[in-house]
Amino acid sequence: MTVAARGSADSVGQGIEGVEDERLITGQGAYIADISRPGQLHARIVRSPIAHGRLTKVHLEDARAMAGVVAVFAGGDVSGLDAWRIPHRVAFGLAMEDLPLFPLQPILAIDRVRYVGEPLAVVVAEDPYVAEDAAALVWTEIEDLEPVLNLEEALTSDNLLFPDAHSNVLIDVPFGDAEATDALFAEADVVVSERLSIHRHAATPMENRGLIAELGEDGRLSVWGPTKVKHFNLRAVANVLGLPEEDLRFIEPDVGGSFGARGELYPEDFLIPWLALHLKRPIKWIEDRAEGLVASNQSREQYVDLEVAASADGELLALRSHNVCSMGAYFRTNGAVPPVLCAYIIAGPYAWRAHSARGTGVATNKTPLGTFRGPGEVEATYARERLLDIVARRLDLDPVDLRRRNLVDSPRPVAGTVESGDCRTQFDGLLQHVDYPALRSSVSTRSADELVGVGVACSEAATAEGHFESAQVVAERDGTFTAHTGLASVGQGVRTAMGQVLADLLQVPFDRVAVTHHDTDVVPVGEGAFGDRGAVFGAGAISLAVEDLESKARAATGDRFGVEPETVVIESGRARAGGRSIPLWELGVSGVGRFERSIPHDTNFVAAIAVVSVDRRTGKVTPLRYVGAYDVGRVINPLLLEGQLTGAAAQGITGALLEENVYDEIGQPLSSSFMDYLIATCKEMPAIESLMFSFPKESNPLGIKGGGNSGIICTQAALANAVADALGEAGDLVTSLPLRANRVRELFRVGGLG
Amino acid sequence: MPMPSSHPDESTAVELDVNGELVSVSVPPRWTLADVLREKVGLTGTHLGCEHGVCGACTVLLDDEPVRACLVFGVQAEGHRIRTVEGLAKDGALHPVQKAFREKHALQCGFCTPGFLMLAVSLLEQEPEASSERVKERMSANLCRCTGYKPILEAVAAAQTEMAARP
Repeated sequence: MTVAARGSADSVGQGIEGVEDERLITGQGAYIADISRPGQLHARIVRSPIAHGRLTKVHLEDARAMAGVVAVFAGGDVSGLDAWRIPHRVAFGLAMEDLPLFPLQPILAIDRVRYVGEPLAVVVAEDPYVAEDAAALVWTEIEDLEPVLNLEEALTSDNLLFPDAHSNVLIDVPFGDAEATDALFAEADVVVSERLSIHRHAATPMENRGLIAELGEDGRLSVWGPTKVKHFNLRAVANVLGLPEEDLRFIEPDVGGSFGARGELYPEDFLIPWLALHLKRPIKWIEDRAEGLVASNQSREQYVDLEVAASADGELLALRSHNVCSMGAYFRTNGAVPPVLCAYIIAGPYAWRAHSARGTGVATNKTPLGTFRGPGEVEATYARERLLDIVARRLDLDPVDLRRRNLVDSPRPVAGTVESGDCRTQFDGLLQHVDYPALRSSVSTRSADELVGVGVACSEAATAEGHFESAQVVAERDGTFTAHTGLASVGQGVRTAMGQVLADLLQVPFDRVAVTHHDTDVVPVGEGAFGDRGAVFGAGAISLAVEDLESKARAATGDRFGVEPETVVIESGRARAGGRSIPLWELGVSGVGRFERSIPHDTNFVAAIAVVSVDRRTGKVTPLRYVGAYDVGRVINPLLLEGQLTGAAAQGITGALLEENVYDEIGQPLSSSFMDYLIATCKEMPAIESLMFSFPKESNPLGIKGGGNSGIICTQAALANAVADALGEAGDLVTSLPLRANRVRELFRVGGLG
Repeated sequence: MPMPSSHPDESTAVELDVNGELVSVSVPPRWTLADVLREKVGLTGTHLGCEHGVCGACTVLLDDEPVRACLVFGVQAEGHRIRTVEGLAKDGALHPVQKAFREKHALQCGFCTPGFLMLAVSLLEQEPEASSERVKERMSANLCRCTGYKPILEAVAAAQTEMAARP
């Protein structure tokens, strides 16, 4: 890949306002719930009220009898439907064939229910209120089974979610060098071990999920609502429904956030299109929040048994880790990521002599688990950075000094690559910005009257994930240019950022470009939006497409003017040669590009500092300040990037302190509204700063790095370390999240604090 | 065994004052104002994030007070002045709050934005000299998942300045 960065620099690097904004601030957005199709019916899912049981009968008669109800189906009703399963999408660290098939979710429960919220029937009615009324009339006969909830017990329990399997273990992957690691542990001066736990919480975007499916007169099925990985999902749905892919069209509407949870395949993604095919009317389904809190993928719930071997003077020698992840009741499309990536990335930006890790995912009778921004990375960072602070205390070292002593020079490369970046410069830059020595001493002074603490964390973020992305660039008749990209937009500003890239490559003003990504008919190939890949992959593909367009333009101009193509110069939308020029659209050319990489991801160094105060009486943690330091490479749009970094940090902060998907002892979810599942308001947010360092990437054409998710990576670690610092002697007791007031008060009690 | 009830919902005719215009619609009494605005009046800018009255994405103004449209019945709104996000811009010119949100990049996915706009408008109309603490207090009524709130507060402050400068 040898495309050189060139063109003007008028758009890339500018904080251009989002092109999407004008519509959205005037209430003209078209989110899925805003869309309606003539003659549509409304679907409502009936969900299991019990966490674990044998489903013996589903009674549909009462629901069917209600006026306005068109159809009601349960799993056993539809021949063939019981064989459908939601497939795997991401293997991460394994081969796809090695992922187990037994824990894949059916579309509607057949003979077992395995989590509260599992779909077991669907009602279709003329009106959404009626559909909801009728759904309440569906009743079930379920024989209770003991739910599997405790993570450690689930590992060895013979109470199996899947009776045909040997155990509840769904995935188990080792990394590193166990032998070398064990040898170092045997010789080390100091060994520190701890179990660090992070709680279940979820992406929880403000918009709930939804779909509309409609069978056209031409026999093609259109589905509004898919996003993130439309092309994969289209193939999966076509495959299950037995439709040729050409007969399926996915259209992405405006999307109210995703953060990893939306856009993955759920039972509804198969059910709603199937209903449209079967009933031959458009079907609209909109999830509500109470449903979403039990039906949309949850995340993060893992414990990490972590050990550090160190020398007495503070050299980190070896790390040994086993993380166990509560996968929920079924193995999601991307369920492999949290347990595996956590183990893969646990060592972090430190010069260990050896490390070994093991990532295990185990089935539990809870909502299935998928990715949430920085999946596995937030958990790994929290566990390791927390333990490093405990090690620092044991060795009587300042936590910053321990890290500075052991940081690698630049992030560890994926095999065969050289990573750009300078960890020490970036970390020192962060420390200088906050004036760390002064901050430390001011915190110590305050601590006489109040509990105040400073916490630091360093990590590596895996960005720019994926294998390829495609783009087509077209010169339009009106002198503008359109890029059709396979990326998806979930609110992160794809059309703006990619528009800036396109404008600069073509050397035209920003207002002469447009970007589309919505419709699989227009962009038939693409990989989508996840893993901080939009900037790198999207720009990479567009760059190649522009190169292709220009090469075709040169050839066509050469023919027209009778000159050698190499003498043709393309600039500002025209082809020029020998004193003559022709607008690109006149040549009737367009370019296609496919950007591919064989390395699985980039690695960026991230560091952060948090300052908190803890109320002595109530245990309430107030975050006072959060500063993150990021390596952002060459920035396309600083306004968009800062927005992403701030938003990501805010999510991490509220996740560490407030949010939690709580289950009771029989597996009933207790966090059933935003009155229980607490998301911070503007009052709970500290001042958040994002320091951007730029070590441009050699290996991609524009020097771009991924960045949107990096803001979350160190948050929980830095906050936990700050709270531990605030608690002084009792600080080592901080090993589990979230740090809600009642839990901190418990630490006061155990730690003998006032 | 539960007995099936008989439907459909009986509708009742109401006349709603929406953004200064009287709209006649026929609505079942149990429909929320949010659903009436979205499905009957055709204004989908008011969004539903939770339907529990917590997130505030459905915030509209009822006689200039911010309310959760998901917790108000459509029929209750008859006789009151309803203002939604669609009524903020006048003759193609954006309201200062809208302009400020765009300039400060106070939205990413845009889903919570209409609710925040209406909340901010009511605050700045009622308390044009609100301190930044008071602004934060009032803005804490609504949730945003994308921005971390920092640019939203900056946008409200900028709009406040602009609105104070206008004659």
